Amino acid sequence: MIARSGRFRPVGSYVLNAANGGAAVRLSGVTKTFGDTTAVEALDLTIPRGGLYGFIGPNGAGKTTSIRLIMSILFADSGELSVLGHKSALEAKDRIGYLPEERGVYRKMKIGAYLSYIARLKGVEDRDLAGRIRKLIERVGLFGVENKRCEDLSKGMLQKIQFVAAIIHEPDLLILDEPFSGLDPVSMRQLRDLVVAEHRRGATILFSTHVMPQAEEICDHVVMIHRGRKMLDDPVSAIRRRYDPRAIVFEPLQTGADVGRVRALPEVESLTQVDGGYEVLLRPGSDPAGAIERLTAAVPVARVELKRPRLEDIFVQIVNEGRGTTQADESLRAELQGVTAAGPS
Amino acid sequence: MSKIWRIAVREFVATVFTKAFIIGLMVLPVMLALGFLVGPRLFGDRPFAVEGQVAIVDPTGEVTGELRDALTDGTPAAGLADAIRRGRADVAGGSAIVEALAARPKLTLIERSVGADIEREKAWLGIEEPDSPHLALAVIHANAVEPRPGETTFGSYDLYVPPNQDTRAEIAVHQSLREAIVSARARTQGFDRARLNDLMTVPRVQSVTVSGDGERNTVGGFNFILPFAFMLLLFMSVMGSGQGLLTSTIEEKASRVAEVLLSAVSPLQLMAGKLLGHMGISLLAMSLYIGLGLLALTSFSLFGLLEPMLIFYLFVFFLLAFFTIGTLMMAIGAAVNEMREAQAFMTPMMLIIMSPWIFWTPISRDPNSTLALVVSFLPPLSSFGMMLRLASSDPPPPWQIALSIAIGIAAVVGALWVAAKVFRIGLLMFGKPPNFATLLRWIRAA
Repeated sequence: MIARSGRFRPVGSYVLNAANGGAAVRLSGVTKTFGDTTAVEALDLTIPRGGLYGFIGPNGAGKTTSIRLIMSILFADSGELSVLGHKSALEAKDRIGYLPEERGVYRKMKIGAYLSYIARLKGVEDRDLAGRIRKLIERVGLFGVENKRCEDLSKGMLQKIQFVAAIIHEPDLLILDEPFSGLDPVSMRQLRDLVVAEHRRGATILFSTHVMPQAEEICDHVVMIHRGRKMLDDPVSAIRRRYDPRAIVFEPLQTGADVGRVRALPEVESLTQVDGGYEVLLRPGSDPAGAIERLTAAVPVARVELKRPRLEDIFVQIVNEGRGTTQADESLRAELQGVTAAGPS
Repeated sequence: MSKIWRIAVREFVATVFTKAFIIGLMVLPVMLALGFLVGPRLFGDRPFAVEGQVAIVDPTGEVTGELRDALTDGTPAAGLADAIRRGRADVAGGSAIVEALAARPKLTLIERSVGADIEREKAWLGIEEPDSPHLALAVIHANAVEPRPGETTFGSYDLYVPPNQDTRAEIAVHQSLREAIVSARARTQGFDRARLNDLMTVPRVQSVTVSGDGERNTVGGFNFILPFAFMLLLFMSVMGSGQGLLTSTIEEKASRVAEVLLSAVSPLQLMAGKLLGHMGISLLAMSLYIGLGLLALTSFSLFGLLEPMLIFYLFVFFLLAFFTIGTLMMAIGAAVNEMREAQAFMTPMMLIIMSPWIFWTPISRDPNSTLALVVSFLPPLSSFGMMLRLASSDPPPPWQIALSIAIGIAAVVGALWVAAKVFRIGLLMFGKPPNFATLLRWIRAA
């Protein structure tokens, strides 16, 4: 528990009010333009308290602008917005943790002093702030860096420090803009665990990413945005159900096994050889469980599973709706897999 | 308010406890000390000895003799000439050039015949003789000592000099010739030149300044230097803080710290905190300089010459200038991506800041002129203009001071309004720097 400006407030206790229905964030018809460019167009979004939302989309989709609007760093041209029950995040900044995409520090400032400064700006009046800072720094795997200058730390280390700065005041709402960009796999996993831990603590979390697998791994709800417009806003489980590819992927136990009997099964619409195995497309209305049972009876398999829909496939499908070229599809897919250079959105 | 305070404290600490600031703070006192101690040795006039040859054509036959006597050691004429020179130097108030000329020139007279060819004599001036340079050719007019019959006016002389000659040498020759001609005229008229000189010489006296605190010898130039000192303090404080605000804003924007800060505070809080922090820095520097100045005045027993209200006004007008110029500097910092891009906006700002240097002399000489009046009501120059007038020998009436402060406050409000809008939008705008039209659009849009 942290004392903020002399008052004590239990973490995770929320004041519900009828107007926002207990939502941590609510955007209604929010539009933001920069000159002739519409960065965000009529965006509706509701994030319930305690939710773990992924804000996904390719670079330039409008994710960062939306987040800055939520944070009241930018202001909408039209539409309504509420954050933690307030009309503006300005009124609740001490309850919001924010890790911007463009992360900056005072290069000459010492880590401990920097975190203490940010904590106090966030209203933390903890008498043992130094001890708290030390514990949090150790939690992200850094030890004894309090007296080092920011400029002496690597980019990955600084990113962890900046994450600490975002959670140092135990926020009710944690907004992370591309939190994993530029991190090595170990640091990425470490940070992911911290995000999950913050969620378990009771924080509502909204994080943006253009790398779909990250969203799939962490989020329980996904909001897809493309060219400033919301394309999808559903729980991950619902998305998987709705975009069920009706496909089974299997790998025969023996290389060169006769798969002709699989093709003859009544549920099978088509059979395609893919890397290391086969993909079976089921007829509409087929029972996948029964199909797997009959498939394994027809051919001994080393591996068989229902093909899970990937967010990037869904995104590409939604965005292009058959209009995109194969090359455009692949380019977008590569970006969503995080294999192209990241840029600001 | 506590957030604004925290930002202000960070800005203050981050600047004040740096070697650069401490060294920068020491620069002015060190420079002044150097100016007082070393300056006179570096820039002062070395004892200048006028030495060389002067060719003279003297149809009167009187002047050359007088001149020779005046230049010859031990003669009464030489003593008289020395006394006259010292008297003039004293009356002139100790001007460096005239003081130098108080020394007797070592002139070697070369007499030319009355019928000499002047054009050929002029060529003599071009002949180089390093040990005894040819300083001048003097042609005395025939009526220089006695007017022509039927006339009352005296003639003079023509003087020809070589190019690139030290002015002091020419002045010494002029002075010697004039004295010799006057002495010749006096002798011809039957006057005692020494007596005449006594009659004409009134020693310069030290004036006494009478004030409520008592009487003291007048300090020459104090009334001229004081406005300059106050304007310099104001200029340095505003300039220093303005530059600090500009660079720190650009740094926070470029390093992307600004967005982190904006997640914790509003743009207005950030701006207010930075302004207060830099105001504290400037006030600290200004207080130190004022303290040093007062110490210097006390050590020279001149403390009583300073009107204490001037220090109060200095702080008032500093705050007005600081908030007007500082906020605009912050707006510029927020609008651009790097220092280089700020130059386009800085040019008009620098012209405004530098203009007090132009106005210092005319306002100090005539503190109630139309120019002084206009400048003291025209923000952001008003602070500098009014400070110059307040520190002058003829301060403005109270209503003008009040009006200038009121206009200054209005300007501060206007500058804050404009700067806040530019700051809010500009701080997160990257890419192509805005032009003035874009800035105007931001101001209208925000």
